[in-house]
Amino acid sequence: MLDTIMKSKLFGWIDERTGAEAIIKSQLTEYEVPKNLNYMWNFGSLALLVLVLQILTGIFLAMYYKPSAALTMGGYTVAFDSVERIMRDVNFGWLIRYMHAVGASAFFVVVYMHIGRGLYYGSYKGPRELLWIIGVVILLIMQGAAFFGYLLPWGQMSFWGATVITNLFGALPVIGGFLQEVLRGGFAVGDPTLNRFFSLHYLFPLLLAAIVGGHVHALHVVHSNNPTGLDVHAGKSTIPFHPYYTIKDAFGVGVFLLFYCYVVFFNPQMGGYFIEVDNYVPANNLQTPPHIAPVWYLTPWYTILRSFESKLLGVVAMGASLAILFLLPFLDRSKVRSARYRPVYRQMVYLFFVTVIILGYCGHSAPTPTLKLIGQITTAYYFAFFLLLPFVHKFEKTKPLPEEI
Amino acid sequence: MKLKQLLTVACMSLALALPFGVQANEGGVALKHAEVDASSHEQINRGLTVFTEVCMGCHSAKYVTYKGLLDYPEIGLTREAVDELRGDRPITSGLITDLSPEDATVSYGKVPPDLSLIVNARRGGANYVYSILTGFEKDPEGKILDGNFNEYFPGHRIAMPDPLGWLDHDEADTAELEAQANDVAAFLTFIGDPHQNERHAIGKYVMIFLILLTIVLYLLKKEVWKDVKH
Repeated sequence: MLDTIMKSKLFGWIDERTGAEAIIKSQLTEYEVPKNLNYMWNFGSLALLVLVLQILTGIFLAMYYKPSAALTMGGYTVAFDSVERIMRDVNFGWLIRYMHAVGASAFFVVVYMHIGRGLYYGSYKGPRELLWIIGVVILLIMQGAAFFGYLLPWGQMSFWGATVITNLFGALPVIGGFLQEVLRGGFAVGDPTLNRFFSLHYLFPLLLAAIVGGHVHALHVVHSNNPTGLDVHAGKSTIPFHPYYTIKDAFGVGVFLLFYCYVVFFNPQMGGYFIEVDNYVPANNLQTPPHIAPVWYLTPWYTILRSFESKLLGVVAMGASLAILFLLPFLDRSKVRSARYRPVYRQMVYLFFVTVIILGYCGHSAPTPTLKLIGQITTAYYFAFFLLLPFVHKFEKTKPLPEEI
Repeated sequence: MKLKQLLTVACMSLALALPFGVQANEGGVALKHAEVDASSHEQINRGLTVFTEVCMGCHSAKYVTYKGLLDYPEIGLTREAVDELRGDRPITSGLITDLSPEDATVSYGKVPPDLSLIVNARRGGANYVYSILTGFEKDPEGKILDGNFNEYFPGHRIAMPDPLGWLDHDEADTAELEAQANDVAAFLTFIGDPHQNERHAIGKYVMIFLILLTIVLYLLKKEVWKDVKH
């Protein structure tokens, strides 16, 4: 079909003025991809799909949403009322809003899978260091966008979550107090906070879209890694992106949508994981909920924060746990990329995945002494994983690499 | 990772996440199980009657309008019935109690919460509502006054006086009171998300379409890839 379009007169007219044919060839029909990619490589395209879904549904939500903390009847606010209006009165507003709320969680599911794949197969190693670093920037902006978005319904968890997180910035020395006030637009979370968070929640996805463009560009310069981690050269071991990977990604989209739509249509709150129970209670600055926890995708970092007695240390550790991701390409000195041929790293990375899940569980649950200890142990391993990497290659006996893929 | 492994993991995590949903009550007491069908026209309407005659003495459901009672197919009141219910209120008004917040504070010490979202806003949902309504007991320690002790309320001291008359009811009335509690829980479940039945109905077609689409895409993928040795 693409051939027919490219032979048309109209396409010729456009091509003369934009070089469209050269772009399509270099990026799709003649862009070489290793032929042995497994289904873990589907999550990149899925992340792009969810980003587009989030932006589209978000634009429609913003047409009806009103960022105001002015009180209305029954202890509710204009913002909370406008969300309920979307859920009840706007035609198919419930669908758009559930798609957006479930989409936020789905975004993190696919992105965490995408990152996990990169970790396991060593996709962060040269020459893909910058590709990885751009990816970490994307992760941070995503977390920011999710955090800003969660305030908008102005429920109890919105309000107290924002209060706890903006409080963290106050723990920083010298500039802390100033930063906290700038973030909140006042001395406490209130109407000015809601307005600036709404503005930033609209800005961040646009930044994301631009940086994702950079991520894809960087990928297309260095090309995809593959499960063996071997360098591949155009020819026998590669196939063009189109039609092979367009159809494989399309199939992946079908499978993803099955899961996504099942949740959207049959279980949008996901038992309190995707939309928390307390967030159906309007924000009340006089009543702290018994247990404040961020949404599941931020809980691993929340546990790292809580694992330290000193608030400042906790904040620094949380920042470090994210910042250390930037250093990963330079910490790992092994010449072999894929964990398939690295027995020690393979165990380490599996343990790392389990650790992050346990960290997430601890952050989601109400704190108990046992969970706190488990949180501290897993926090220690989280950092140990990165700090051991510069030394692993010295004693690790890698398995023989295949000649070709 | 192979497709089969990946799908198994995805299905398992979905299946595992569901029952682990936040179901337990905060107080740690196991809730009673409510018999609720949020798609049942009869049960929702019986619940609406309990709501307007009992609950609305103190509570509002401001997000549910009189027009909604007319328009939602699950309720489907006639215009006459709605006019009788609303009296002088505009048809676009929510179900608002006559009890003013000031009077409520004087009588009960606090303003009764709006019930539009109560099922969504409490762990246990409909089970919580049902348990509270049928949870008025005598305080075993004798500290809390009769009518203010509720077995299922966090901390047990509840400001709401026994609305259905559960405490000291005759054995013969148990079934009737339980039915009322179930019905009003069903009504509240419905109004917590009034498009839920429509959502489920549309969802079935969406899933059937997606299954077919995914099968076609899979076959197409196999066809395109059949010459690639890997």
